[in-house]
Amino acid sequence: MVETKKRRASNSHSLERAERRMGLIFAIPSFIGYSLFVALPMLFVFVLSVFKIDLMSNTITFQGMSYFDKLLHDDDFWKAFANTFKYLVIYVPLTLLLGLVMALILHSRVYLRGMIRAFFIIPYITTYIATLVVWNVFLHPTEGPVNSLLMSWGLNPPHYMVDTRWALPVLAVIGSWKDVGFHCLLFLAALQGVPRDLYEASSIDGANGLARFRHVTLPLISPTSFFLLLITIIGGLQAFYQMALLTKGGPAFSTTTLTYHIYRTAFEYYDFSYASAVGVILFLITLVLVLINWFGQKKWVFYQ
Amino acid sequence: MKILRTIVFSLVGLIFVTPLIWMLSTSFKYENQVFEKPFVLVHWDDINFGNYRYLLTESPVLTWLSNSLIVVVVSVLCRLLFAAVTGYAFGYLRFRYANTIFLIYLAALFIPYQLSLLPQFIAFRYIGFLDTLWALIVPNIVDILSIFLMRQFFLTFPRDFIHAAYMEGSGVVRSFVRIALPLAQSPMLTLGILSFFMIWDQYYQPLIFLKSPEMFTLPLGIHSFQTQFGHEYAKQMALACIAIVPVLITFLILQKRFVESIVTAGIKG
Repeated sequence: MVETKKRRASNSHSLERAERRMGLIFAIPSFIGYSLFVALPMLFVFVLSVFKIDLMSNTITFQGMSYFDKLLHDDDFWKAFANTFKYLVIYVPLTLLLGLVMALILHSRVYLRGMIRAFFIIPYITTYIATLVVWNVFLHPTEGPVNSLLMSWGLNPPHYMVDTRWALPVLAVIGSWKDVGFHCLLFLAALQGVPRDLYEASSIDGANGLARFRHVTLPLISPTSFFLLLITIIGGLQAFYQMALLTKGGPAFSTTTLTYHIYRTAFEYYDFSYASAVGVILFLITLVLVLINWFGQKKWVFYQ
Repeated sequence: MKILRTIVFSLVGLIFVTPLIWMLSTSFKYENQVFEKPFVLVHWDDINFGNYRYLLTESPVLTWLSNSLIVVVVSVLCRLLFAAVTGYAFGYLRFRYANTIFLIYLAALFIPYQLSLLPQFIAFRYIGFLDTLWALIVPNIVDILSIFLMRQFFLTFPRDFIHAAYMEGSGVVRSFVRIALPLAQSPMLTLGILSFFMIWDQYYQPLIFLKSPEMFTLPLGIHSFQTQFGHEYAKQMALACIAIVPVLITFLILQKRFVESIVTAGIKG
């Protein structure tokens, strides 16, 4: 009896060892893949930002911090930097708020829920570039359907993508329109996870709808809100499609964000080192914003 | 009350997709009807199929469509296999330091994807991947989010099933292929749908890696078409429809599954 138990134990022990050994072998492809497509490129970006690489003659020269020095004195960089934050300031709150409101709509008592939900998430699943081509014509400054309608009401509508004051906000709103379906679905899942008896308890305590939302719903969905906040910030920092297809960073540089600046310096001027330096800054900004929120979450995120 | 709410919210939803309805409507019009006043949703007496006919017969749209399909299908299959093997290693087999290494993997989710494209471009230039579909497929295989989801699945995978296979003399590889993989169908299908939509949408990578029009994927084709036929809006709308309709139909058929997949990917990711 004791004998078999012992044997079984040693059996399962050696089995575990065999599994661990095989685990390492199973993980080898991922070591290679991760090194080749994540770690090495990241390292290489840092290396590129301090070396000058000439693609024509294949020569490499050490430049020290000169690219970062150039960047700090480059007006274009600072404009792109400011534009990135302007984009975030509109895109992040708008997407989160809209997503929450849409989730609340779907969570309320309503007929045709499936249809309304489909309307809300269709922009998220459709091909981004195709929808941008549509927006380009839809917001045509003089003849597009939106402005025709506004003008027929006697208004004097803005020229959207060709107006330096309007272009960036419009791109941010289009970005929200495209992405908000994802936020809506996640908020909806979070709302559905709020236990019903908590609502009942709070209404017995005499809390009205708004108080209940503030003191019961919001804290209970805060982990989802926090996750979405991070995703939205990271996504907002990487916004690129609208600039590339609709405005090419213009008019007058007003929609050149850091990502578009990287694209232009690397793939139009072929200055990979300078683009990498800007990339390093973009990475640091992402890191700082994520860390700030990570430590800030204690103040408002409530884990059950 | 419930009816009123339904009407208001349906209208809100409808406004939300107005640009897409307008796109569909305009794709069946002639160029001189694009900005017509008053706006007519459908000219029943004279629906114009010419835009579609032109795109399908006289432009490289079908080539772009098939390029897109090749990239998506090959990428998704490779990505699924890669994620399943890796997820099994980190979630089920759990070798030494597996969790520590996995945390390092997860850190990659915070790196802007545009950064790794710079060195990729230089490397692809040397190995001759530029202007081939390989440049789009190969980097898509390694996807941290997919690995993460498969690991989560295998973390709670019933060990008895695998042990039963060991009893029958299967090794680790055999039990993975015969038992674990078939039982992982559901998360892999979810992941497959999600990846399909993500990769179908990719535009930055083709923009920098591809040069010749016969290599373009659909998003890049749409871009080049817009540059080339700047004022032929009806044709542009028809092209946008061609890009959107396949995903839209897939979505409407698989809506329930798709919604689940976004929610699980979001919550677990």
